[in-house]
Amino acid sequence: MAESSTAKIDYLSALTAGLWKENPTFRLLIGMCPPLAVTTAVKPALTMGLCVIFVLVCSNVAISLMRNLLKPHLRIIMFTLSIAAFVTIADLYLRAFSPKMSEALGAYVPLIIVNCIIIFRAEACASKCNVWVSILDGIGSGTGFTLALCVLAGIREILAAGTFFDYRVMPKAFVPWAAMQMPVGAFVTLGLLLGLATLITTKRAD
Amino acid sequence: MLKAIRYYIEQSWLLIVSAFFFGLLIAVANAAWSGKADTNKKAKLSNLMKNLVQNAAKFEVAIKDANVADGKGKLLKTDIYKAVDENGNGLGFAYITSGTGFADKIELIIAVDADCGKFLGFEILYANETPGFGDKIKKDEFRNQFKNAPAEPVSLIKAGDRKKIDNEIVAITGATVTSTAVTNIFNKSIVSVKEALQQKGLIK
Repeated sequence: MAESSTAKIDYLSALTAGLWKENPTFRLLIGMCPPLAVTTAVKPALTMGLCVIFVLVCSNVAISLMRNLLKPHLRIIMFTLSIAAFVTIADLYLRAFSPKMSEALGAYVPLIIVNCIIIFRAEACASKCNVWVSILDGIGSGTGFTLALCVLAGIREILAAGTFFDYRVMPKAFVPWAAMQMPVGAFVTLGLLLGLATLITTKRAD
Repeated sequence: MLKAIRYYIEQSWLLIVSAFFFGLLIAVANAAWSGKADTNKKAKLSNLMKNLVQNAAKFEVAIKDANVADGKGKLLKTDIYKAVDENGNGLGFAYITSGTGFADKIELIIAVDADCGKFLGFEILYANETPGFGDKIKKDEFRNQFKNAPAEPVSLIKAGDRKKIDNEIVAITGATVTSTAVTNIFNKSIVSVKEALQQKGLIK
């Protein structure tokens, strides 16, 4: 790939695109498994988000470094290989230093391997851009994803347990909505938030 | 032939090199952190067992890879631990077993006293039961029914006094499957554990 085409890419837009305009969860609707599965409380959601940022940045760097050597028909296997390696490292780290979170997230940490945000950023950005743009892109998309997870988890945790980040925020008389802890709560909250996100973008476009 | 080999290497050298590189990276991470992960796991297990057996100073493996039945009666190979106090007196035994809950497996640590005459209760190692219904097995109200109950198979009843300690366990309303799963785990496992302990001469 020619460097001249990437030189024009605005570093700032690489960083901010993922936050709203190309937010993986609210605007692109990719990688929808964690937003539904690990958002019962903010702590696991934040841990998940940080893991995804780590994997995204590392795999973007690795792929960006080898972008000129990639053979088109072998690129997906290279993406998967580097993603799987970093996910395994993140999983090992959590097991050693945050066993509680590792337990709460269970199989969803290894499942980051098949999260399509990461492979999408590898394909759309890292395999075409230089390392710096790829790093910013990874941080941007990862942060957008983490924010989406935390918003979803915040709403669900407050309504399902009356707490936020394990601190009590609702009055004692509040009756927890058990449904918010179940998959149905994830779907309903996500649906409403997606509707809200679409409403905001269409209002802006008008 | 040589041409073909050359072609394959040309195509795949990056993949091979990267596979080794990433493999090495994982190996290093594993070597650095796996010890700590094991310690965490052991600490968690021993903390949960300490909740069950009062005054226990440490837990030793009494029988390694004993045959302990799960909720369906299938024999699993799992360790039976012996709880000892500071003077080395045996206080009881604890073991891990599992069964099928409503949506996912349920994994429990069950403790019995030194002569295997009474249950000392159970702790949940893993459960993913329905919030508001099945997850009430985590509550003391349900769990305390097993504390000090005779270590014999128990039966499940729909209504009754939870405070009365006997072999009748009052089920959780709206969570019959989960309640049955827990009692099944107790019933099947206690028979096999007693057998294993008797064979080793650890109880009469």
